[in-house]
Amino acid sequence: MLARRASAFARSFATVVDNAGVKVAAIDNGQPTTAVTFLVKAGSRYEPKPGVAHTLKNFAFKSTAKRSALGTVRESELYGGILSASLSREYLALTSEFLRGDESFFVDVMSSFLTSSKFQRHEFQEYVLPVVEAESTAASRNPATHALELAHSLAFRSGLGSSLFASPHSHVSLDDVKEFAARAFSKGNIAILGTGIDSAALTQLVERTLAGASVGNVAAESKPSTYFGGETRVESHGGPETVFIGFGAAGPVDPALAILSAHLSPQPSVKWSQGLSPISAAIPQGTSVQPIIMPYSDATLFGLLVQGSTAEGVKEAAKVATKALKESAGLKGDALKTAVAKAKFAAASSLDGRDGILGALSTKVFVNSDASIEATLASIDKVDATAFSKSVAAITKAKPTFVAIGSVQALPFADEVGL
Amino acid sequence: MNVLGPSLAPYIRSSRMLKKYVTPIAHWYADLMGYRKMGLKYDDLQVEESSQVQRALGRLTPRESYDRSYRFKVASDCDLHHKPLPKEQWSKPEDDKRYLQPHILNVLKEEEERLTWDTMTVQRK
Repeated sequence: MLARRASAFARSFATVVDNAGVKVAAIDNGQPTTAVTFLVKAGSRYEPKPGVAHTLKNFAFKSTAKRSALGTVRESELYGGILSASLSREYLALTSEFLRGDESFFVDVMSSFLTSSKFQRHEFQEYVLPVVEAESTAASRNPATHALELAHSLAFRSGLGSSLFASPHSHVSLDDVKEFAARAFSKGNIAILGTGIDSAALTQLVERTLAGASVGNVAAESKPSTYFGGETRVESHGGPETVFIGFGAAGPVDPALAILSAHLSPQPSVKWSQGLSPISAAIPQGTSVQPIIMPYSDATLFGLLVQGSTAEGVKEAAKVATKALKESAGLKGDALKTAVAKAKFAAASSLDGRDGILGALSTKVFVNSDASIEATLASIDKVDATAFSKSVAAITKAKPTFVAIGSVQALPFADEVGL
Repeated sequence: MNVLGPSLAPYIRSSRMLKKYVTPIAHWYADLMGYRKMGLKYDDLQVEESSQVQRALGRLTPRESYDRSYRFKVASDCDLHHKPLPKEQWSKPEDDKRYLQPHILNVLKEEEERLTWDTMTVQRK
């Protein structure tokens, strides 16, 4: 079953570069609905000023030369489709999900945003800015999201360190957004991903609709990432006490981190059991530890998010987590095999859902790599005990990224936790 | 009847002969109206007690809004004195552009589009 799905994935993964450099990849597994994602290199990494990428993402599906904002929404509703825009640190993703057969309309909606969006001033003030403000406020009130934003800013400073959300202090003007859009929406920065649609059909559609896009070879500029690390504390109340212990490295993602995350993850494979993780046995009641891996094209941030209702509980749980992380450098034998198996399953099962498939494709489509799921599983398999301990030693040797959010007088410092 | 009122301008502009002869008369009449002697522009005379014009006014840039309020103040002051402004302060014909009309037309178009979407019947082929 896995072999069939894996080969189907590999077979229908087609990377086509059309005459001006737009990359297209599609997988058709016979689903009744189709999802097409326009992936643009307009993530927060490439923004010239803080908050511009977040604002541009909220401008998606507003008035274009072809149809007004109201027309876009009403017509999509009549077709029965879902439109969404999401921002990551490297990409802006415009997605639409719809029934098979409606692809010409929805691909046209998304490509008209890339080629002929009007960026009207009254829409900016009435529709976009309130949403930007609401999302930024919600993000800063959520301690986990806030901790990750701070961690990235400490770890990578500029580029990947730019926040995903606009801050109330950074004044983003309409001209900033227009300039950023003009530079980012050039054909070399766009990739089209599809699930539930044939690759040739999607390529044809895209060539027709994106014919008017700027052929600018203005590649998105961003300096290569370096990892720095650091420590910060933020006073906050009303949410769980939060500590993020992170480690990062520049360079492509190391499969040993997936194994480490699988080993440490307290998520049990069998419901109601405690699981085999060294962390779940020892953390106090009411606290939770979650391993987080964030791979980017030229750097990775790996960390443990510790949350709890009391600062003392979080301090205890953070000590347990750090100890488990440092001790896992000596993982070998059956324990390593368990972790490898868990990591392979996680990688393979992520391709069960549409989000997982799009996530996997997005990492490969810009670098034109044809690596299939078999290659990913093989790279995880190849990690033996020595390679694993070398990788863990390498990341724990670098300066850690430590973020504490909550009652800062009670939360631990990095050296109190064992870092 | 929309908030901009009835207008023969599109018909006159469409004919070259009519346009050639009627335009000077139109300029003379606009001067005769006397609003320029109070420092106003033509769109300052637009009836604003309507929801559509209020929406259009919300689309002016901050600078345009400020200048509009300033012109109203100057004109009110003029009215108190029962005298027109000195000649140097009259608004110039080349500056007398319709700054509000495009916004009003856009608002009317959007309202019509909303009405169409609200009342259409749909058939799936």
